[in-house]
Amino acid sequence: MNVSKSKDLIAVLIAALWIACIVIGTVGSHVVAMVLGVGLMFLHLILGVAKNGVVSKKFLIYPILIWAVLWIVSFVLSGYYADLFANTAPTFTILGFHPSFAPTIFLYWIGGQLTLNLGHYLLQDEWLSEKDWEDFCAEVRTLEEVK
Amino acid sequence: MTHTTVLIIVFFCALMIAVSFGIGVWAKKKATTAQAYFGGTAMFGPLAVGLSSMAGIASAFALVGVPGIIYTSGNAMAFWMLSGAAFAMSYIILGKKVRAMAEIAPISSLGDICDVRFNNNHVIKALMSIIICLGCVGYLAAQISAGSTLIAQLVDIPPIVAGFLIFGLLTVYTALSGEVGGLLSQAFQGFIMVLAGLVLIIAFFVVTGGFGPVLEAVSAAGEVTGSNGVTKVMSAGLLDAWGTMPGGISLTWMLIPILGCVGQPQCLTRMYAVKSPRDLPKAGLVTAVTHTIVGFLAVVAAYAALWLVATGTIDPLVAGDQAIYAFADYLGIWAQVLVYAAVLAAALSSASMFLTSSSTLISKDLTSALGIKIAPEKQIKVSRIFMFALGAVAIVVSIYSSEMVALLGTFGWGTLVSGTFPVFVMGLLWERCNEKGVMCGLIVSFVFNILPLVPGLGFAFPSALPGYFITSALAIAVTVAVSLATPKQKLSPKMDAVMKL
Repeated sequence: MNVSKSKDLIAVLIAALWIACIVIGTVGSHVVAMVLGVGLMFLHLILGVAKNGVVSKKFLIYPILIWAVLWIVSFVLSGYYADLFANTAPTFTILGFHPSFAPTIFLYWIGGQLTLNLGHYLLQDEWLSEKDWEDFCAEVRTLEEVK
Repeated sequence: MTHTTVLIIVFFCALMIAVSFGIGVWAKKKATTAQAYFGGTAMFGPLAVGLSSMAGIASAFALVGVPGIIYTSGNAMAFWMLSGAAFAMSYIILGKKVRAMAEIAPISSLGDICDVRFNNNHVIKALMSIIICLGCVGYLAAQISAGSTLIAQLVDIPPIVAGFLIFGLLTVYTALSGEVGGLLSQAFQGFIMVLAGLVLIIAFFVVTGGFGPVLEAVSAAGEVTGSNGVTKVMSAGLLDAWGTMPGGISLTWMLIPILGCVGQPQCLTRMYAVKSPRDLPKAGLVTAVTHTIVGFLAVVAAYAALWLVATGTIDPLVAGDQAIYAFADYLGIWAQVLVYAAVLAAALSSASMFLTSSSTLISKDLTSALGIKIAPEKQIKVSRIFMFALGAVAIVVSIYSSEMVALLGTFGWGTLVSGTFPVFVMGLLWERCNEKGVMCGLIVSFVFNILPLVPGLGFAFPSALPGYFITSALAIAVTVAVSLATPKQKLSPKMDAVMKL
């Protein structure tokens, strides 16, 4: 996926999402704002992983898209069960956790680790291969010689 | 606490400080160049970088304040503490570009990156240095205040004596060895925090039986009034995802620590401290595992305190900040030793991180932005003297001026986000980001960070969300809008190569 011609648009979306998060968070729809927050992080990740404007499809699917889905599901489930069991004890638990807090543990925390941290490690060449780095260093050396 | 217990705790804390001091003094021989002294640039492997990043991020507040907040108002704060994914996110977003900057120019501080990216623009560098410095000094004062009070109360000595004994030594070894000693000693202190975390997490499951029994006890407890006259209102809602705080707080404590991690000096400076950018995914794993343990420690300490109160084992806590100590006191002497050592390690690691950052920002970046020229061969000496002075002043002010600590305490993580995002995140991710845009973004950040503190003005944002969140959003939006509205600036060929990496 080539994003080199969409970077201005992505920057505008980043600005718009920051503002949207504070407006929507202020009016009380914090779950919606958290989902938008995932979108905001997603855009930063896209810009960060792009090499010469191109985003690796492999890296886009895992870890980035899977991470985004896990977190969105986590926030939506937390909101759903918090509303369902508002002012009352939950009728069931998930491995001992309140059903609203369990998504935070399993999807947000553990899921987040296993996608972003592990994905970054396993697919590090899609982010920056040895060759990419050596090519970059060679280009810098060439530019210094020209100078 | 018995006299013997106090002696053992003091012995282990003193041992930890002595080892940290030894590491700092040993590291002096490696801090021979400005790049090594100020940045530890391209010197470290993933283990040291990963551990020190975690230790720099997890301050004394994480181990004492966070359990207190969860004990008092429920799980919203857990979003902040269970944010181990933030490091990988930061490295993916900016890691290779920050490290690449060290290949195209002699980078030893955040100001150097700012210079290369924005054509030595003095206004940007000065504003950025001041804003980041506000955040760093705020953190530094809070660590000194917390660490000194902790030990002073334990051994019954004046806080100023404890402050100079602990943080005076820290200032000496940090000034001698700069970022090299700072980073290595933080890695050691991070290890102590992880060790304490492992023991206390296991103890939590053994003592309480796990999260199920805690939820059951808290749900059934209702209103608990202890023999100390303190009442704690308990309900299942305390342990749902949002706790008892407004939902906007959960939003803030999810978004700002996760995405904001990339704008923290503890994270940014470590990106150019690695030998190779290909070490960053490994460093991310180290940080994730260690942060997972320390973050989980903060959560289980709060849950354990809630369980102890809900089951009537202990009286409700007078202040939430006692949560981790209440749990350690219940467990006995070795848990107490580990908790005190871990809290002190957290305070030391964050203090040394922010001492080096703020002194580098003031003595190197801000001075050069203001046109004060210091010969390169004298730069380390000048910074050493400055670091001694800053350390001493910070100790005295932190202990004698609680108003100043409270004022500085308002600057922290969010201030750093608002000061670094326009320069580094937008600046290194988006070619179109230009000097005028970043200048305007930083002016917005500076004004809105200061405005709420101007006496008599009564300025407040029209929102229940924390001011730093709104300030960060406005600073970034203004950076983007002004950059697009003003002419594009051409990048140097080397800078262009970094942006394309």
